Amino acid sequence: MRTLEPWVGPPLEHFLAESEARVVLLMTSAGQVVAQHGFTRSLDVMAAAALGAGIVASTTEVARLMDQRGFGALVHQGSEQGMLLSGFDTPRGRWVGLVVFGSETSVGLVQLFWDELVRELVAVAPPETTQAPVLAENFERELNASLHALFGR
Amino acid sequence: MSLVNFTTREITCKIVYYGPGRSGKTTNLQYIFGRVPENRRGRMVSLATHGDRTLFFDFLPLDLGSISGFTTRFQLYTVPGQSYYNATRKLVLQGADGVVFVADSQARRFDDNLESLQNLQENLLEQGVDVRDLPVVLQYNKQDLPADLVLSSDALDEALNFRGVQSFGADALHGSGVFETLKGISESVLRRLAAGAPA
Amino acid sequence: MSRYETELGRISAVRGVRGAMLVSMADGLVVAESLMDGVDGRAVAALAASLAGRLARTTAEAGLEAPRVLHLHAERGNLLAVPAAAAELLVVAVTQADANLGLARLEMLDVAQGLG
Repeated sequence: MRTLEPWVGPPLEHFLAESEARVVLLMTSAGQVVAQHGFTRSLDVMAAAALGAGIVASTTEVARLMDQRGFGALVHQGSEQGMLLSGFDTPRGRWVGLVVFGSETSVGLVQLFWDELVRELVAVAPPETTQAPVLAENFERELNASLHALFGR
Repeated sequence: MSLVNFTTREITCKIVYYGPGRSGKTTNLQYIFGRVPENRRGRMVSLATHGDRTLFFDFLPLDLGSISGFTTRFQLYTVPGQSYYNATRKLVLQGADGVVFVADSQARRFDDNLESLQNLQENLLEQGVDVRDLPVVLQYNKQDLPADLVLSSDALDEALNFRGVQSFGADALHGSGVFETLKGISESVLRRLAAGAPA
Repeated sequence: MSRYETELGRISAVRGVRGAMLVSMADGLVVAESLMDGVDGRAVAALAASLAGRLARTTAEAGLEAPRVLHLHAERGNLLAVPAAAAELLVVAVTQADANLGLARLEMLDVAQGLG
């Protein structure tokens, strides 16, 4: 399990232990990864986050067209694995969760503990802090070196 | 909004390639995907129709490596260009840290470029973002086409580049100008972060 | 009221039964319910289906047949579960400590049998 902010860790660990989910991804509504468990490649995580956030964003818009407030969760039940996608509001803005689970658990259990996770996250989330300048004086040189290494020119 | 984490020292930025239909946004990403070393990029995800028109978005994550001690990642998105896909364009634009506007240099597409640029401004404004506050670079694609079909970069600058931002002539299919554009937007976005501006 | 809810009503009418549910075994979701206030049907359904699935696997590993009735005896009441319809559904009842468990069990087995 990997989290960008430490306060996300304990509730997420609790969720994983109780729900027996295989993969969990927490992201902002813009698709930025906040926490993850079960992925092997960090860059694949980003693609999954972009797609998951996109699905939730589009179903929310569909709900809006139908004068609904939004869908609580979206569940896709496959033959081998199932997936739950859900958007929720936190003191840190709107987040999206993507959970993949197998036959060792059930959608009912995953949903049950997912709701618990959301309640816990909302309860323990510290308020948003303003971003300070993040990059040091070597920034210009290192940026150029990185861009050169990546783009080769 | 870029995600900066001080604990794990990571920065993730979202760059959106915007522009009219068939201007070459997906082609830009495909070229980048093909040229960046495999260990520095993820899979390219394309949600397209059978006719290879972007339906929702294309997505390509890039790993820029370490900058000032921060692991820096970019997420490149394209939007569908056709005017009737505005709802999905708005979704993809949410939380963008920078925009590459890919214009089609063909003279007959001039109005489409203008319309798309206006649409970008409107969609950003709807999300409470003034386009003047957001890092944007322009790319004039298809400059390889015969001179009598295309407008020059100077002419396009005159017509589209109101803010005097960085602009690049390009031939995305063969790669000319693609990395220059990406480097341009990367610099703008990261400089803005370094300056401590509200991201 | 659906046919299932009418059937479940027979179970919840037994003295001391606080609620009865029909639960999908595979996904742990409530199919039908007849519950008193204060019983969290969604949570009981998810956890009972998980428990029944595990116990069925355990008895299978031990070379036994799948359990016909599960009975969890807690300090303040009981949880009863009866697999039905080729183990795709689970009839679940939550009872008080002083419930008429014998009759509740009979009704549950009858409902389960009626489901095929």
